[in-house]
Amino acid sequence: MATTATPATTAAPVQLPLGQVDLADCIEWQSVECLNENSLHTSVNALKQGYREDNGLYLESDADEQLLLYIPFNQVVKLHSLIIRGPPEEGPRTLKLFANRPNMGFSNVTDFPPNDTVIASLENLEGKPIPLKYVKFQSVRSLTLFVEDNQGGGEVTQLQKLAIVGSTVETTNMKDLKKISENEG
Amino acid sequence: MVLEATMVCMDNSEWMRNGDYSPTRFQAQADAINLICGAKTQSNPENTVGVLTMAGKGPRVLITPTNDLGKILQALHGLEVGGEMRMTSGVQVAQLALKHRQNKHQRQRIVLFAGSPVLADKAVLEGMGKKLKKNNVALDIVSFGEDDGEKVEKLEALLNAVNNGDNSHIVHIPGGERVLSDVLISSSIFTGDGEGGSGFAAAAAASAAAAAVGGGGGAYDFGVDPNLDPELALALRVSMEEERARQEAAMKRSAEDSTAKGQQAGESSSAPDVAMSDVGLVDTTDKSKDMMIDDDTALLQQAIAMSMAQAAQAAAAAGGGPATTDTSMEESGGDDQDLAYALQMSMQQAAAAASAAQGSADVNQVLGDQSFVSSVLSSLPGVDPNDPNVRDVLASLQTDEGKNDDQATKDKSK
Repeated sequence: MATTATPATTAAPVQLPLGQVDLADCIEWQSVECLNENSLHTSVNALKQGYREDNGLYLESDADEQLLLYIPFNQVVKLHSLIIRGPPEEGPRTLKLFANRPNMGFSNVTDFPPNDTVIASLENLEGKPIPLKYVKFQSVRSLTLFVEDNQGGGEVTQLQKLAIVGSTVETTNMKDLKKISENEG
Repeated sequence: MVLEATMVCMDNSEWMRNGDYSPTRFQAQADAINLICGAKTQSNPENTVGVLTMAGKGPRVLITPTNDLGKILQALHGLEVGGEMRMTSGVQVAQLALKHRQNKHQRQRIVLFAGSPVLADKAVLEGMGKKLKKNNVALDIVSFGEDDGEKVEKLEALLNAVNNGDNSHIVHIPGGERVLSDVLISSSIFTGDGEGGSGFAAAAAASAAAAAVGGGGGAYDFGVDPNLDPELALALRVSMEEERARQEAAMKRSAEDSTAKGQQAGESSSAPDVAMSDVGLVDTTDKSKDMMIDDDTALLQQAIAMSMAQAAQAAAAAGGGPATTDTSMEESGGDDQDLAYALQMSMQQAAAAASAAQGSADVNQVLGDQSFVSSVLSSLPGVDPNDPNVRDVLASLQTDEGKNDDQATKDKSK
C-alpha cells in the first residue's frame, strides 16, 4: 500500500512536483469509457479541466458503489500520482489501477493483479496527491481505474475530481503535428 | 444515429415449432431478426449485429457482431429447433460477445427473443439485469409465444433492472392475427431511444428487409406503411406535429381569452354548437396523437372550435365556392366514410361561413344548387338521394335543374 510521503499541499492549485504535469491533455477523450456510471453524472465531470474543479459536477455510480474507468492516452506516459476529490461519505476508498489493460469488465477485475492498489484517506479526498508506484507505470498507453468501494460503505460513490499527474515519454504527439499549408510551403 | 453493437438472442427451443405465428414461430422470429439486423446496420454504417441461439445443447454464437448483413442472413439458415431456452447463459454469452467488440465507441445492446416459458427465477433475472446495467448494456425484449403466467412479470422485472434512462424496451406480441415483424417495426425497439427522428429513420431504412419479409397491411400510423413510402409517412408525421403545435398555441390563446371573457364562452351560441360535434370527430382521429382530453375538455373544445372556424373560413376563402370544394371532397372521399363525413362537416361550416359573409339571400342560392345539395345528401350515411321523399323536397327547392343534374351524376360516378 502506498502511503503519502510528500508534504500536504491542500491549497487549491496543487503544486506539482518538478517535471510532472497534469496529463489531462494527453487523454484520448473519445475512447474514455466508464462502466456503471450514472448517465446524469458521467466521467467527464470528474476528468475534464474546468468541470472537475466544480464540486457540483461529479461522477456518480449507478447500480452499486463500484466504478470502472478506462482512460486511454494519445501517447505513452509515465504516471506519478493521482489527485482526487470527493465527499467524505461517498468518496472512493479502494482504488485499483491497471496499466495497459483494455477490455476490462467488472467480471475480470480479479483476474489480473493490479499494478497498484491505494486506499484513499479523507485527506486525499480533499486533494492531497496520492503517489503511485512510479516504477510500475513507466510506459502506460491506457489506465484502468477500478473503484472498489467508498468511504461510507453505501451504494453510491461520487468522485468530483480525478487528475492524473505524470510525464510524457519522448514520443511524437500526433496532435501537435500541424499541417503546413502550401502557401507557406 | 446511435452507434451500437447489438447481439440478438434467438429462441430456438422446441416451443418454436408451434404455428400460431405464421408460418411457424421459428420462421416468424427469423424474419423479425432479419428486419432488426437490417434496421440496425442501415441506421449507422458502423453499427454491428451478431446473432446467437439460446437453446439446443447450449448457447451458440452463430455470428459475432458484424456489419455484413449477408453473413447474418447466412448464419440464420439451416438452424435446428430443439432443447430448452437457457436465457441467463444466453444473455451472458451475448454480453461477452459485446464486451469484445472491436469498436469501443459502440454502445452495447442485446435484443432478446423470448418465445418459451422463462425457467429462471425472478431474483436471478434481476441480478442478471443489474449486471447488464452495470456494464452499460441495454436490453430490448421481444416477448411472444408461450406464456406460463409468470413470464410477463419476470421479463418486466428483468427490464426494470436493466433500464437506465429509458434505453431498454419490451414488446409483448400475442399470437394469431398479426405478423411478428409487422408489430415490431412500429414498436419502441425500432423507434425507441427517445429521439424519434432517428428511430423513425431506422424503421424506414429497414424497408429492404421489410420487403423481404413481405409484411404489408396493418395498423400503421395514418394507415400508411412507412416502409412503402417513407417520404409520405414523414410528411404526415411532420404535418401532424405542426398541427399539434398549432392546437397547443390555440389552446394557450383561448385559455388567455377565457380568463378575460369569463362567462362569455357559454353564451356564444351557434359556432360552439357546430364545434361540439366536430370535437367528437377530432377526438376519435386524435387518439393516435395522444391528445389528453380530461378535465381540460371544455378548454380544448373551445380551442378546437376556434381553429375549426378559422379552417372553415380559410377553406371558404381558398375554395372560391362550395361547389368546387365539394367536388374535390367527392374525389378524395371515395370509399372512406369517416373522412367523407369529416370533410362534410367542414364543408357545412365553409358553406355557413361563406353564406354568412354574403348575406342571408345567398343561403337560398346554396340550397338551390342542385349538385351541391345532392352530393351532400349522397355523402351522408343512411341517406338515399334517390328516396322519393328527398326528391320531392329537392324538387320544391329546385329552380334550374338541367345541367346541374348531369353534374351530380358525374359526381356520383366519381
